[in-house]
Amino acid sequence: MKLQHGLGGLEGLEGFPLDYEKRVFVEDWEKRIFGIHAAMMGLSASLRDSVPGYDLDAVPTTFNTTWTWAHLRSGAEAMHPFEYFKFRYYEKWLGGISAYLVEQGYLTQEELDAATERFREQPQAQLPDRDAEAVDEQVLDYLRRGDTPRRGPATPAFAVGDEVVVRNPPATEHTRLPGYLRGHRGRVERVFEGNYSYFVSTGGDGLGQPMSVYIVRFEPDELWGEETERAAGPLYAELYETYLSAGSTRDGNR
Amino acid sequence: MSELFAYPDDREEASAAQVKALEALLIEKGVITGSTVDKVLGYFESEMTPLNGKKIVARAWVDPEFARLLATDTPKAIAQLDLPEGMAGAEGEHIAAVVNEPGVHNLVICSLCSCFPWPVLGLPPYWYKDPVFRARAAREPRVVLAELGVELDDDTEVRVWDSSGHSRWFVVPARPSGTEGWSEEQLAELVTTESMIGVALPGPAA
Repeated sequence: MKLQHGLGGLEGLEGFPLDYEKRVFVEDWEKRIFGIHAAMMGLSASLRDSVPGYDLDAVPTTFNTTWTWAHLRSGAEAMHPFEYFKFRYYEKWLGGISAYLVEQGYLTQEELDAATERFREQPQAQLPDRDAEAVDEQVLDYLRRGDTPRRGPATPAFAVGDEVVVRNPPATEHTRLPGYLRGHRGRVERVFEGNYSYFVSTGGDGLGQPMSVYIVRFEPDELWGEETERAAGPLYAELYETYLSAGSTRDGNR
Repeated sequence: MSELFAYPDDREEASAAQVKALEALLIEKGVITGSTVDKVLGYFESEMTPLNGKKIVARAWVDPEFARLLATDTPKAIAQLDLPEGMAGAEGEHIAAVVNEPGVHNLVICSLCSCFPWPVLGLPPYWYKDPVFRARAAREPRVVLAELGVELDDDTEVRVWDSSGHSRWFVVPARPSGTEGWSEEQLAELVTTESMIGVALPGPAA
């Protein structure tokens, strides 16, 4: 497990001041990288297989690869754990998206460096213009209709009330398993109807093909032991089936 | 931002130049247009904002039948209201309400990243993505809530919801006392983004 996968419950931050910054963006440039990310999501080749059935062939964009939340998250989660904390949230987005666009050949590092230098010298310089309404329409259509991961019916391995133990899959670049749950027992609170895909395969971590998803209830003592806070309540996590194993007997083993 | 986020003087200028370079190159190379980013931002500034969540909560406060549906089939309930098109769009595909009631207070977190119900709440505020919040809220939600001004007695159960699957949760806070007879519009003004995530209570009746 990487540090950034196990942030939840990380010890030693008691009394550490929360930065209760309520703004969504603290710097104007952060808006632009958010907008670029949303546009790439709305033009992603993966939308060809999406439930809404977007007609990407009719969209005059040169973007022809897949960009999803999984790609953005991988960019941040794959970082060296110490590096991860050096960068602010949207700085990680900027780094990950820049790296992807260079890797995929949409631009070269030299082009990016040169253009960056140009805007350093002339921050007020205008952006180029290009009019292609169908591109913007596709992006907004994606924002309005989304990309549900719901696929077909499911045959869930667990039922409401079942005790489950969270598995401990190998750490990969990207996971949807909060690290602090690994090895802990919980009880299935809800089984979602149908199965749900994930954007990409996370390899040994187990995500990708459609599978059942559950809400699992964890008792606070089970998660935090002696560090459980006063009058603690339950924690619920929504977990993909690949992260769970049967835990029907209380044999004391984890 | 706090001192923790104090960076070299030119850090923001460097990022601003880099993102502008990216946008310029993407336009030149035919990926996006000169207006794509502005249109995306306009969508979130005008249509997908916390105002939608405020209206949903206010309706739940005045209409018990709607409140029941909101708790059991959130998308169906939301679809009944006159809200902008796109409530089941990006990051709203599988939206679910968790409802505060006497003796129960809900708190939504995303300890891995920043999962957030965009159509209902708009984009997530910075504090929600703060690693310190994500770390502490999982293990000591009561302490965190108290620091943020939400004092709960020990009899109130705090339920933490860590988003890591397909659902995007938001909290339906309890209606403040002293608001009997208020209109939905008046009630909606008491609801804040923070109260719909669970780190604040709706404003007191004036």
